[in-house]
Amino acid sequence: MTGTAIEAHALSKQYGRHRHALRDCTFRLPEGRVCAVVGPNGAGKSTLLALAAGLGRPSAGTLTVLGAGPAEARARVAYVAQDKPLHPRLSVADTLRLGAELNVGRWDMAAAERVVAGAGLDMAARVRTLSGGQRTRVALALALGKRAELLLLDEPMADLDPLARHQLMGTLMAEAAEHGTTVVMSSHIVGELAEACDHLLLVSDGRVRLGGGIDDLLTAHALVTGAHPVAGLAPHTVVESRATGRGVTALIRPEGPLGDGWDVEEPSLEELLLAHLRSPDAPVLLTPGTTARPAQGVTA
Amino acid sequence: MSLPTLRGPRWVDIRLHRTTLWTSGAALLAALVYTGWLRWAADAYPEPVGDCLADKSCETFLGFASARELLYASMENGALALLLLPVLIGAFVAGPYIAREMESGVYALSWTQSISPARWLASRLTTAAAIALGVTLVLMGALRLGASKALGHRANLHWADRGVYEATGPTLVAYSLFAVALGTLIGFVVRRTLPAMAATGLVTGLLLWGMGNVRWRLAPVRTATGPVSADHSFPDQYPAGSFSMDQGVTNAAGDRFYVGQCLPKPQPGFSCPDDTEVTGWYMQYHPRSHFWHTQLMETGILLALTAAVVYAAFRVLRRRAA
Repeated sequence: MTGTAIEAHALSKQYGRHRHALRDCTFRLPEGRVCAVVGPNGAGKSTLLALAAGLGRPSAGTLTVLGAGPAEARARVAYVAQDKPLHPRLSVADTLRLGAELNVGRWDMAAAERVVAGAGLDMAARVRTLSGGQRTRVALALALGKRAELLLLDEPMADLDPLARHQLMGTLMAEAAEHGTTVVMSSHIVGELAEACDHLLLVSDGRVRLGGGIDDLLTAHALVTGAHPVAGLAPHTVVESRATGRGVTALIRPEGPLGDGWDVEEPSLEELLLAHLRSPDAPVLLTPGTTARPAQGVTA
Repeated sequence: MSLPTLRGPRWVDIRLHRTTLWTSGAALLAALVYTGWLRWAADAYPEPVGDCLADKSCETFLGFASARELLYASMENGALALLLLPVLIGAFVAGPYIAREMESGVYALSWTQSISPARWLASRLTTAAAIALGVTLVLMGALRLGASKALGHRANLHWADRGVYEATGPTLVAYSLFAVALGTLIGFVVRRTLPAMAATGLVTGLLLWGMGNVRWRLAPVRTATGPVSADHSFPDQYPAGSFSMDQGVTNAAGDRFYVGQCLPKPQPGFSCPDDTEVTGWYMQYHPRSHFWHTQLMETGILLALTAAVVYAAFRVLRRRAA
């Protein structure tokens, strides 16, 4: 089994009395993956990434990052928050210098400058004069310059036009592949990350609904159509079904061979995610490598 | 400004606020130059002679009676203005230094680098404390430079006067350090720049005002008494430079009362003894020697408060970051 990038046991985070950002999340993310954390706005994606980055403490449960607590792993984790926070009055050059001063012994100035150079940015320009896309680039440069083992990126591409998104994603993937970095990116746009990622975590309403390799998850599901009542799918787990014409169309998790009279096809990633988002009561599915190992001796 | 010797988080603290540092440095330099020049002028230019009321012979120096007058008037105002220094320090630390980073979300950047948030906070606090200490000491030095010959002699530069008292001992330093700690805590808790500045300025100001009243209870007053003479009934024998807390007259039985309230006949609303024949005076006072006693007590209280506030700030940080 490969190492573990993130592992959560019964992880919960509550803001105030009534707002539950995360409820009872248990999952594991192996090292070396490029993982998309997807889910609707307000699902708890940002909270999950922030907790892994060591910002805030879980209300209950445990969270380990690279085999240690988030505080101990801090130097080995890079994090870019959703709003790309940077000191507005620093120049780009000084922002990178800040990265060097706060990451002594890890900082790779050449890598950071490569990311910034991609956009033809003026190193003397102040951060507050930059466009949203340029700020994203500087924030990513800070994260990549840190030479982290785990990159946590909260909605990294939201401010970018399609061309810049493609280009920057390419830079990111190349750097990650070269160093075997685990990347965790959140997005509420399903398609945005699909091509770049090999792993998926679906979060909605503060719960982890699906987790695993994208291919494994797709093959674990089937989109079936047939002129039968839904009851005919009884041994299988039905995620979602709806009446069509004389029969039903359903997304199921087959538990064995299907009976005759069903058209079976593999769902697209989008169909898979939407079906789960529309059916909050569907059981959680974590593929074996994504299942948290039996509770370790670590508590909140 | 090149900062070749600064490293790590301290480089960041200084770099982010170098405009403020430059401005403060220029203001300090201006204060020193102004004071030094007036002190030189006070000796170099003659005091006026002649009848000030009859002609304008008193306005010999920029409209003031003399360079020395301008110097001492400046020092009187400057000593009072020094009371604002902790308020300004606290407001700056609370707002632009701490709360703005909380408000804008940049703390998420600061706390996810390779140094722990606790180290980040320790660096912020010590950088601010060192600069607050330096600024306070330089301005206290400027007051000494300008007023050394008049301190304790001139009416508005009495050792116990507000401003003069704080700025001629360690208490002003303690107030500045307290303001740094309080600004940090309030900046953390309030997390919005302007409200944090206002709250810190208010609390620091209230503390300065409150302690200004409380400090004279930190040492027991002494009492001087004496007989009245034929032409006056006010205290005329007490240690030079004493700070009077209360003075009045006594009758033969030793009851204390005030001439203005009870003579020639008792005014309504005041309690007066039946016998209002004045036989002596009394005065409660702090002798000059109480200066260090109250200074050290007040400094100790402030430093203890500072330590408590710093502890609280680290506790708040522990809840915000793992």
